[in-house]
Amino acid sequence: MQEKTITILIDENGDSSIDLEGFAGSGCGKALDDFRGDDRMRLERKKPSYYSQTTSDQQQQNKR
Amino acid sequence: MSKYAELTTILREQRFLIAALEEMGYRAELHQDGAHLIGYEGKERPEVAHVIIRRSQLRPASNDIGFARAPDGRLVALLSEYDQAVGYDRAWLGRVQQLYKEKQTVSAAKAKGYIFKGKEVIRTANGPQIRLQFVTR
Repeated sequence: MQEKTITILIDENGDSSIDLEGFAGSGCGKALDDFRGDDRMRLERKKPSYYSQTTSDQQQQNKR
Repeated sequence: MSKYAELTTILREQRFLIAALEEMGYRAELHQDGAHLIGYEGKERPEVAHVIIRRSQLRPASNDIGFARAPDGRLVALLSEYDQAVGYDRAWLGRVQQLYKEKQTVSAAKAKGYIFKGKEVIRTANGPQIRLQFVTR
């Protein structure tokens, strides 16, 4: 099972970024909510690895 | 699935603010109902705050620095123009927010069962950045 990692970078102004790796399904959103707390979301995006994983999954399905 | 998000920190929890100020060397006062700030000449100022750093812990001609609870629950910094000019400026406030965010993140992660893997302080031209890493199963 792939390890799920959460990396938080807090900049010099106290604002932060969250990098989530290895999550599947709703676990990704839950982890984001857990670490977001009361903070305001400025940006949220899926990373390229998400799309490559999705493409890979679709290719697997097409082969079947 | 992998995701990336950027967040603006909002000061809301007094305990993490007080812990952040303590790490910076201040003993902040907590006033549930608010208290007036005191100015450099020893007179009461009109501003009311709920977390206060008294001027005796600041520079000789400083006023008290406060954080007031806004109607929406946020803690808003009250800094005089003089104090902003002598070092209690945006960068100082950024450091307060940075330490607040660190303490709030570590506490939230622990409460939700995430495993702390490490902390790294990254030196940049604009100041230190804090990198925290957690894992979960």
